[in-house]
Amino acid sequence: MEEIIKQYFDFSVMGDHFGEVLDGFWFTIKLSLVSGALALVWGLVLSLLRQLPGRAAAPVRFLSVAYIDVFRGIPLLLVLLLISGSLPYLPLPESIRIPEWFGQPDPFWYAVMGITITYGAYMAEVYRAGIEAVPGGQMEAARSLGMSHGQSMRHVIVPQAVRKVVPPLLNDYIALMKDTTLASAIALSEVALVGRDIQSETFNSSALTLGAILFLLVTLPLARVVDRLIGRQQRRTGRGGVRGTVATPGAVSGGAA
Amino acid sequence: MPDTKSPEEGMLRLDDVHKSFGELHVLRGVNMRVNQGEVICVLGPSGSGKSTLLRCVNLLEPPDRGRVFLEGKEITAHATRKEGGGIDFVRRHVGIVFQQFNLFPHKTALQNVCLAQQTVLDRNEKEAHGKGRGLLERVGLADKIDEYPDRLSGGQQQRVAIARALAMDPTVMLFDEVTSALDPELVKEVLDVMRELADEGMTMLVVTHEIGFARDVADRVVFMDEGVIVEEGPPKQVLESPREERTKQFLGLVLEH
Repeated sequence: MEEIIKQYFDFSVMGDHFGEVLDGFWFTIKLSLVSGALALVWGLVLSLLRQLPGRAAAPVRFLSVAYIDVFRGIPLLLVLLLISGSLPYLPLPESIRIPEWFGQPDPFWYAVMGITITYGAYMAEVYRAGIEAVPGGQMEAARSLGMSHGQSMRHVIVPQAVRKVVPPLLNDYIALMKDTTLASAIALSEVALVGRDIQSETFNSSALTLGAILFLLVTLPLARVVDRLIGRQQRRTGRGGVRGTVATPGAVSGGAA
Repeated sequence: MPDTKSPEEGMLRLDDVHKSFGELHVLRGVNMRVNQGEVICVLGPSGSGKSTLLRCVNLLEPPDRGRVFLEGKEITAHATRKEGGGIDFVRRHVGIVFQQFNLFPHKTALQNVCLAQQTVLDRNEKEAHGKGRGLLERVGLADKIDEYPDRLSGGQQQRVAIARALAMDPTVMLFDEVTSALDPELVKEVLDVMRELADEGMTMLVVTHEIGFARDVADRVVFMDEGVIVEEGPPKQVLESPREERTKQFLGLVLEH
């Protein structure tokens, strides 16, 4: 028992390396904020491409469906390795091959690319569910007023769809955050890599435990937010009224703001 | 030969309009003419194709065969081609009100009435709001301007929907069983608004089960069954001394209770 506690909860190890672990976790935060924001946007773009109407857009629809299927089916770790291992050797301008934008090291940006590419596909599916949950009469009403497909999407469908899917998007965001630790495999000094280095130096896992605790400090409150949002939406739908009109702005303001 | 504009065209003309959904042949050759300022009520059992007829007029469902003319201009010629001038022309000149209201739940009454004015007609906010307020007052909702749809009764929602369609300055208004989803005590307030609209000279094509409304307001009553017009004429004649057996049967069923 004592050995277990010493292996995982050695406060002297945690104390000695607190600064390093915190620096690593700061990378985790930056990485999840940047790639999370990009994945949210990219996922929405993909879902909209997938919903384009008309025969002319059929190739675009096909490509977006293929993209979503492929990247939902490939492990993020492989995507990260494929990018970081070969992008530097492709015939591209150096600022893209070896990106060091905003003073961040190149593995940071490789990780941003990989996570955005992969989670964009996941989030596109979430948005799609939201768009499909908006009653068909909404699009008809908008179109019958003379609005184009794009205008109807922008002003009528997407605002309602997004409100419906804030909780599942946040869930994906939590998963994304945890998956940033995969960037340790491409030598980004985020919390897992820092912890592992300390582990092999001290033969003790407490620095990794510390990293896990830092994660929980962020993910647990987020998970509570998700629960509350879902609860609020259920109360709202349960309260009667026209079916499908889940969301006036009051339904998600506060938590989502 | 494509017809060009001529005064005898009337406001709206349907020539041998057919529409199928898969195996189901819903409209089997409908011919109809609606003159400027005329109010036509379309009666018929459910499944007779009344709603589909309306949806063909504003191209929510493009007809499979036959032609539709609006102000002497053929609109179906464009319907089969890519979405463009034809559909825009129709949707801008033909307003439709749906059974299920289809208000935008994330927008207030005023925003519902202003959205398409601003996005489609490029009216600025001041113009659109001015027009919107005026219309909401006209349908008796001056005090509900900033309410969201889920705070309004069905009758109030439907009146907002009428105002929303009128905001686009349509030349023809289509009403698709607009009182069928309402509680009985809310029907009158909606019919009153429609009555006023008819008195002001709006051209209206009204699919309804309200025999009383048809008798009082319609210039002409059209009885449809199984995708064709069975009988049409002045309300008194069609409703009180119908010539066709099917019309008699239907009216017998409707008026019995």
